[in-house]
Amino acid sequence: MSTEQSTEQTRSRGGSGAFSGATRWVENLNDTQFAYLLLTPTLLLLGVISIWPLLSTFIMSFQADSIRGAAQIGEFVGLENYIGVLSGAYNTVVLPQPFFDLSSPFTSALIVTFIFVVISVSFETLIGFGQALVLDQDFRGRRWVRVAIILPWAIPLVIQGLIFYLLFQPGISFLPDMLYNLFGGLGWSQTPLVSSSNALLIVILADIWKTSAFMALLILAGLQSVDRSLYDVAKVAGASKWQSFKLITFPLVLPTVLVAMLFRTIQAARVYGLIETMASCTTVPSLSCLVVSTFSVRRYGTAAAIAFITAAIIAVIVSVYIIKFRDEGGV
Amino acid sequence: MGDVKLENVTKRYEDVTAVDNMNIQIHDGEFVCLVGPSGCGKSTTMEMVAGLTMPTEGTVHIAGREVTNLPPKDRGVAMVFQNIALFPHMDVYDNISFGLRLRNFEKDEIDRRVDKAAEVVQLEGMLDRMPDEMSGGQRQRVAIARAIVRQPDVFLMDEPLANLDAKLRVHMRTELQRLHKDLETTVIYVTHDQAEAMTMSDRIAIIDGGQLQQIDPPLECYNQPANLFVAGFIGSPSMNFVEGEVTENGFTSEYMDVEFDPSNYGVSAGDKVTLGVRPEDIYPAESGRSISSPTGEIRTKTDVIEPMGDEIFIYLLLSEEVETDLEDPAASNQLLISVPPDSDVEEDQDMSVVLDRNKIHLFDTESGQAIEHSLVASPAASGASGTSGAESDD
Amino acid sequence: MASEGGTATRSSDSDSQGGYEGWVQSSIQNPDRAYRAAFYVVMIFFLVTTLFPLYWLFILAVTPNNMISNMGLLPKGFNPGAFVEVFTTLPFHWYMFNSFILALITTVIVLILASLAGYVFGRFDFKGRGALMLLILAISYFPPAAFLLPLFRLFTGNIEILGLSSPMLYNTPGALFLPFSALSLPLAIFILTTFYAQIPDGLEDAARVEGTTRLGALFRVIVPLSAPGVATAAVLTFIWVYNEFFFSFLMVDGQAKNWAPIVWGILGYQGQYSASYNLMAAAGLIGVLPIAILVVIAQEKIVSGLTAGALKE
Repeated sequence: MSTEQSTEQTRSRGGSGAFSGATRWVENLNDTQFAYLLLTPTLLLLGVISIWPLLSTFIMSFQADSIRGAAQIGEFVGLENYIGVLSGAYNTVVLPQPFFDLSSPFTSALIVTFIFVVISVSFETLIGFGQALVLDQDFRGRRWVRVAIILPWAIPLVIQGLIFYLLFQPGISFLPDMLYNLFGGLGWSQTPLVSSSNALLIVILADIWKTSAFMALLILAGLQSVDRSLYDVAKVAGASKWQSFKLITFPLVLPTVLVAMLFRTIQAARVYGLIETMASCTTVPSLSCLVVSTFSVRRYGTAAAIAFITAAIIAVIVSVYIIKFRDEGGV
Repeated sequence: MGDVKLENVTKRYEDVTAVDNMNIQIHDGEFVCLVGPSGCGKSTTMEMVAGLTMPTEGTVHIAGREVTNLPPKDRGVAMVFQNIALFPHMDVYDNISFGLRLRNFEKDEIDRRVDKAAEVVQLEGMLDRMPDEMSGGQRQRVAIARAIVRQPDVFLMDEPLANLDAKLRVHMRTELQRLHKDLETTVIYVTHDQAEAMTMSDRIAIIDGGQLQQIDPPLECYNQPANLFVAGFIGSPSMNFVEGEVTENGFTSEYMDVEFDPSNYGVSAGDKVTLGVRPEDIYPAESGRSISSPTGEIRTKTDVIEPMGDEIFIYLLLSEEVETDLEDPAASNQLLISVPPDSDVEEDQDMSVVLDRNKIHLFDTESGQAIEHSLVASPAASGASGTSGAESDD
Repeated sequence: MASEGGTATRSSDSDSQGGYEGWVQSSIQNPDRAYRAAFYVVMIFFLVTTLFPLYWLFILAVTPNNMISNMGLLPKGFNPGAFVEVFTTLPFHWYMFNSFILALITTVIVLILASLAGYVFGRFDFKGRGALMLLILAISYFPPAAFLLPLFRLFTGNIEILGLSSPMLYNTPGALFLPFSALSLPLAIFILTTFYAQIPDGLEDAARVEGTTRLGALFRVIVPLSAPGVATAAVLTFIWVYNEFFFSFLMVDGQAKNWAPIVWGILGYQGQYSASYNLMAAAGLIGVLPIAILVVIAQEKIVSGLTAGALKE
């Protein structure tokens, strides 16, 4: 036996090259050192591609715009960009001109983004919940129904935009005429994609179509992690289907729903691509639209300031969520 | 070759000391149990032998080689885990041969060793099963085979039977002992079950609060516990304790007196001591006359009676009211005694008992250290347990 | 696959009992039937609403372009040639190929980095763990636009580091998969962190005692055991990249040979060939196809993957 032991030891020590030297070095690191070693590639990538650009943009937000000339950015101006954007002083001079019948581009962007987030996230949560409840049942062909219902979530944004463009483009589709006949009296336009209020609703509709599926997916995952035997307990206790939904299903998936809503709110508050592909940023100006449109006229300082204002608004929403729902668990 | 030596090993986490200055020497081929309540540091001690945890201070030697800073793979140890820890994505063969394959053994050698190990643990013909297709006992055997196949210097077993049902546990206990007899490899075995430790090991290391309390053969731990903790931990049901103090005439407490000459035992009047006596060393007064050196009669009243079949446990009250304190059993006024199954006892009955002076333990109440293990006159110099490694220092 | 609902079969069996009144009668006696009926109505509603937009693309794609005007619910004519023309008018297959390769590269990078990071976050307690996780989460608060200008300058060789100008990545895959990786990394890290945290410590210890290094234990035991989580992270990352709009749109000039992804293929039809609605629709359908296949194959994995872990923290 002892001879065989020594073979094991020689084997395990064999191959003493640079590689095993490095292995030995790594093995002897303590937990914290080892943790940071493994995080190095991640931190490197995030550092260069995310954190450095953010810091760089942050600095830019304190610098003047430099529309002409070789320099991309002007001198340090402190909080001027922020004050200019928030107070409305930049309205006519700096921000591309207006949309949505509101005097200030920034406030209209804020309102557009707010309306978009509130309406789309609420509907997506409700519809996604409904879809998840359907998919949580056992029935013949469930697999295919599930594929159909979650499919929109996977559809590229640019194609989603294309679809709704084709649905609401007068001349191509029956919808614009039909809607005009029905709702023209209420101010619905014959060319809805160039009317700010109509286009906003259509963008919201497109978003609901795609993103309800995402909510359904997350909520379905939450539903499926509910212990099935709880339903049997409820049944034995004489609960109706509605009662067992109200008393078991709903409270147990609520944390999941809240997390999903949080994810969705963060995403929705940054809406840009969908607007760009379906309507345009001048028709439906969201906050992200404002960043890109100031950016594209080389007002980098202003663009950077708006980007950080957007992030700050999102951070506020997230904090409110977390503080408000911490007690519900999950978030 | 498979000796293990821990020298001044200490493991501190940010605010707790899990293992405090542990010194243990385990000889080649020995079966040693590390036993103690949960959180006492026994598992941490084993993890430091395995290399899964690195000690803050001190050194670890295995097979004469210092391994303190070596990763587990280079220590020549194999381990069986409490949760069995079979790789669920590998079949039995792959599980058993995992370590050999990592070490690039040749296929023939791997096959030969796996077959042999499977035979030892009676798993022939099951090599292509997946872990989730097996019963708890079979899985445990795979885990053991995985450990023996590498022919390590030392086996480490971390509560390997804790997750099995009672019947299987007893069976596997015997199998492990047989295996140890056959392989003659050093085994370090962690358990919180003192009965397991008593039955299996050559020596028991009792650990509490990160400190080694005593390391001795099982019967020595039972008969000559080094301190109050060991006395209370080893043996089921536990030893009875009565707190009191030494007088000119011996021991006195609120409920009972035991006469002896203090000068014979190195104590003097006024010392605070705790008297300990095991349930089987207390006799009803009438049958106690047969033992060689009984104490005087102690008047009690029966409380709860628990017939076990082969014996009867009787809880005796030393006064009218029940005063139990789980935190400090020595402060209670109960005595537990064990009597033969044919004894005629009823609840709430007066009963006088005597203690066997040969089996009375005295402990220093303050330090907990044992003073004496018998009150039959013997030279005062006999002192405490006098066994190795037991002096836990504070 | 999906276990077949006993109730479904039962209720369809008894439908033959006769007539609307009989149905109402039995529904009252048996409220389950009413639930079932409502359930199917709701399900069909969801199916119609989710699938109709795709059907709309199909109507437009098979209708000859000169027939497209005020289209209703049925195609006018049948012209499958549009599905071929899509590839000849623009190199649409190249755009798709680019998207595919970019998604694959990104997925591989993200899985490797997120495995290491998820392992660390899930299984180690070290100084700065909470702060780092928060930092990674915080990155997702920012609109992509906040990264754009510095990245754009970096990728066009306008940043100097120690006297060397940054590599010219604009119009190369690097300008795309680097931001894709960085932006999809946090989600993958959170998914894998929860999965890896659930693997019992004993298995990792066992692997190490048996002879692996710590990293060996990760890749031999923890990753294989978290296969559903890894698959979930992989599918989500792949779909995320295939979906991505912002950087896909802005980090290349739009030519297929410069690694422009599918975004540019679709926008090409919406811009240059803006009158070719049938081609637009056909391109849209073709673009959906690979991702639809992925969803068909992986939907079970995605749901069970999310169920098993991702949402518990």
